[in-house]
Amino acid sequence: MDRRQFVIGSGALAGLSAVGWPRLANAQAAQKAVEAAQAFRGSEVTVVWEAGLQALDPLNFSGPMWEEATGIKVNIVEVPTSEMFTKILQEHRAGTGAYDALNVVPAWMPDLVRAGALEPLDSYVEKYGYGPELETIAPVYRDNQMKVDGTIYGLPDDGDVLVLYYRTDVLNDPALQSEFKAEMGYDLPVPPTTWKEFDDVGAFITEWSDGKIYGAGFMRESTYGALMFQERFRNEGGRFFDPDTMKATINSDVGVKVFTDWVAENKWMPKGVQTWGFVENLAAFLAGDTAMTVSWPPYGRWAAGYGTDTEALSWVPKSTIGGKVGYAMTPGGHPQLALGFALGVSSSSRNKEAAYLFCQWLNSAEISLQRVQLPYALRDPFRDSHFASEEYKSRWPEAPQYLQALQDGAVNGLLDLSIIQTDRYEEVIRQSVTRLWSGEDPKAILDDAAAQWDSLTERIGLEKQKAAYASWASNPAAYPA
Amino acid sequence: MTQADPFPLSAEAGARPVRRRPRGTGFKYWMILPAVAVILLIGLFPVIYTAMKSVQNITMFDQDFSYNGFIHYKTLLNDTRFWKALAHTLIFVAVALPLELLLGLAMAYLFLDRLPGRPIFVTLLVLPVLVSPIVAGATWRLLLDNRYGPINQIIGWITGTEQTLLWSVDPNLVYPAIILAEVWQWTPFMFLLLWAALQNVDQSQMEAAELDGASWWRTFRLVVLPSIWPVVAIAVLIRALDLFRLFDVVWALTKGGPGTMTETISIYAYVQGFQQFETSYTAAMAFMVIIILAVTVTIVLRKIEIDR
Repeated sequence: MDRRQFVIGSGALAGLSAVGWPRLANAQAAQKAVEAAQAFRGSEVTVVWEAGLQALDPLNFSGPMWEEATGIKVNIVEVPTSEMFTKILQEHRAGTGAYDALNVVPAWMPDLVRAGALEPLDSYVEKYGYGPELETIAPVYRDNQMKVDGTIYGLPDDGDVLVLYYRTDVLNDPALQSEFKAEMGYDLPVPPTTWKEFDDVGAFITEWSDGKIYGAGFMRESTYGALMFQERFRNEGGRFFDPDTMKATINSDVGVKVFTDWVAENKWMPKGVQTWGFVENLAAFLAGDTAMTVSWPPYGRWAAGYGTDTEALSWVPKSTIGGKVGYAMTPGGHPQLALGFALGVSSSSRNKEAAYLFCQWLNSAEISLQRVQLPYALRDPFRDSHFASEEYKSRWPEAPQYLQALQDGAVNGLLDLSIIQTDRYEEVIRQSVTRLWSGEDPKAILDDAAAQWDSLTERIGLEKQKAAYASWASNPAAYPA
Repeated sequence: MTQADPFPLSAEAGARPVRRRPRGTGFKYWMILPAVAVILLIGLFPVIYTAMKSVQNITMFDQDFSYNGFIHYKTLLNDTRFWKALAHTLIFVAVALPLELLLGLAMAYLFLDRLPGRPIFVTLLVLPVLVSPIVAGATWRLLLDNRYGPINQIIGWITGTEQTLLWSVDPNLVYPAIILAEVWQWTPFMFLLLWAALQNVDQSQMEAAELDGASWWRTFRLVVLPSIWPVVAIAVLIRALDLFRLFDVVWALTKGGPGTMTETISIYAYVQGFQQFETSYTAAMAFMVIIILAVTVTIVLRKIEIDR
């Protein structure tokens, strides 16, 4: 979006505000926020935002719009995801009041609340009448990524979910299908719905095409691998802990099977897949080198070529597979709602009211619909109205199926593990993934990981952690039903 | 008008004269006091502060500033990850340091002769030192990337087969990758110091050795090395201390992995302190490292002093 487009867009939105909002029930929260924010005209709010594409939303789009509507300047502090928790907590400890509003990964919220870094939002929600619109956020995000111990600390703002992307032209190829059936004894599933089917199809494609196209590629780098492990482990029937003893059970047969299957899969995936992250995997999929992959929602938009001609996305390889991509839930049927973001207010902010109002405005049905359609900003649909938006559905021919896959994922998705000091447990998984790629024995790795988890639980306090886990595990989205 | 005796004797007859410091002698101490105060404030305060925090119990959720004894030091002694990190650090020091020294010395010898274009070559050689270590690490990560990196490509051309060496994953390659990046960046530092030292070697002694028919090795061992020894010792000490706190390149290339295979003391401290917020435990770790380094440096400096 260039300056001219922005000005036109802002004008249109301002016009809509003046004419349409009073008549649009779902626009009230945005309008109320703008009206209330007039009292803070001339002030500034500083917001922590994920560095890179995510930050282009407030930098290029929502920030300038808010400033024009309210006179409140928005400063964005870009922080890499891996450092956001640290920065937020450090600032809170220092008590500088440097941050007003925060983007937080929902799984971190309990820890940030225990540390006192987040401001309770119930009174603001009540005061500015945001309750009705909060209710229209998709249930899985609203019910699980908003509250800690019954108090609102974040406004769910990003419908992150892992999606299975597959090449419809490859998987529906009659020659491939007939040869697959002849060799495997069953019809080639389009798309695969279990990991066994996925492995059969993926390995077969690699062999069938003689390596011209690989059956699949994955983000195997440990940061992503740890999330993928959580998802697959639970879809295959694994449980993280014994709820009675709080002993770690990631070294169960299921855990070992997942790790063993991963090593076997690498043999029919592109060489060096162990080091792939978000970009490497994306490049291979868009170039048509891989027939299937699992990733976050932006892959689907970019594979279709949506917005990839904008300057911000000039680094995205040109898609060679537009119109040839199908979207589905990941094998097992319970994709992980991996990461995501909620908007919160820093407890040490000196401008909490204005910070909250900016969050409410961003998160409102009206504004959020615009934001999730920004092709570059990585915010994904999280409201029922986003999934049903005719405007969004018209963005590219397969957009309706795309939105349906995201909604299916939201309905059936699994939450990230969220207990006390979750990141310490996840770090153990991340290290385990790197050990797996270095050739160590899966069982030995997971036994060691389980021992480390037990030791962490002991250090944090067994009873405290047991209660935190019981609370998390009681959620229907913690494990597949 | 009589001039005041600067060394007045005691009023009592026969008493021993009391030697007084000449007036103004203390002035020099006053002159250096601000600098000493600043150094103490900058250098000593954090050490004392670290020591204080190490006997408290500050974690992500607990801000317990009460005295907690030496429990963190006791835990540290039994923390195998800490000792492994220390061992990994020592491996990096033991391998990278001699390589940098030998290569730096060889380069310094090479550039002693007035080669054509010497200033340009020297400038180019020194460039890696000017690069931020984290940038150097990120650059090497790209160079060693298995899919797009030129190093695998070059090895592939040489061997005639496609290479997908996983430099940041394969346990046989992670150490060579890190050491390669580290040596690339810091050998020029050694080179600069040694080059300067070699230029100051007494030429008359060199000529005398040559006239006496001494071999190159004998001349180097008995004439050159004693003359450049103080510089070598200081250069080695500086680089050893640098290597002991190695972080950036390892973080950029492997983040301490696979597992904790390349985790150095600095990385472990960072993870404990800034990702897991074990503040007091990290302070204990830092203080222990300070003690180890202080003892080592004192011994080395004393040795250098003795040798001189």
